[in-house]
Amino acid sequence: MIHVRLFAGLREQAGWGERSLAISAQSWPTTPASLWRQLGLGEAVPPQVRVAVNQAFAALDQPLQPGDEVAFLPPISGG
Amino acid sequence: MAEAHRPGLVLRLHPEAFEPLVALAEWQQQLTAGGSEAPAAEAHFIGRVRGRSASGAALEALELEHYPGMTEAQIERIAATISRRHGLLALRVDHRVGRVLPGEAIVLVAVAADRRGPAQRGGQELLEALKHDAPFWKREWSDGVGRWVEGNTAY
Repeated sequence: MIHVRLFAGLREQAGWGERSLAISAQSWPTTPASLWRQLGLGEAVPPQVRVAVNQAFAALDQPLQPGDEVAFLPPISGG
Repeated sequence: MAEAHRPGLVLRLHPEAFEPLVALAEWQQQLTAGGSEAPAAEAHFIGRVRGRSASGAALEALELEHYPGMTEAQIERIAATISRRHGLLALRVDHRVGRVLPGEAIVLVAVAADRRGPAQRGGQELLEALKHDAPFWKREWSDGVGRWVEGNTAY
């Protein structure tokens, strides 16, 4: 199981903010890039979208582990 | 001492309005608690919500979303890196979340060091890192319509 989170504009475009996804045994190791396609969010992750795995920035091709939390983050605008 | 240099970060995310000068005074009292000598140099930045949106329309409010857990963890990582780089003695970050009105404080960054250079450079770097690498998202509300802000205002 992978827990996926979307924030701000991405969440509103998709119409959901959190989803848990069962990954079949033969699909491991999966990556954030493949989750993006699998969730129907689009073909490739847009360059301005950043990825976090377990609440730290990560690469799109990072191999995921069962139980990971993956977040797709639109451009940050803090401060 | 196990670590020769491990200054502390005080981090507060405020769901309601906060008063930056009160936060600063509290932090300064902590720095000199127990009779410690006050740091020789401090740099402070207070950011407030402007009354206009990026497109120039009158702004009703800014809405600030964050990623609970990661936002705090990421600010801790940023602060630790910058603190090491500049040899800072202490850091404080206050940031609003939720609905923030024009004129209200949205961010306070304060750093203490032994010299003005590290204090000012470290404070500036911390603020810029917060703006680019801490997960916060702003939505501008004007005329009852919300628009997500992509990226930051001019430096």
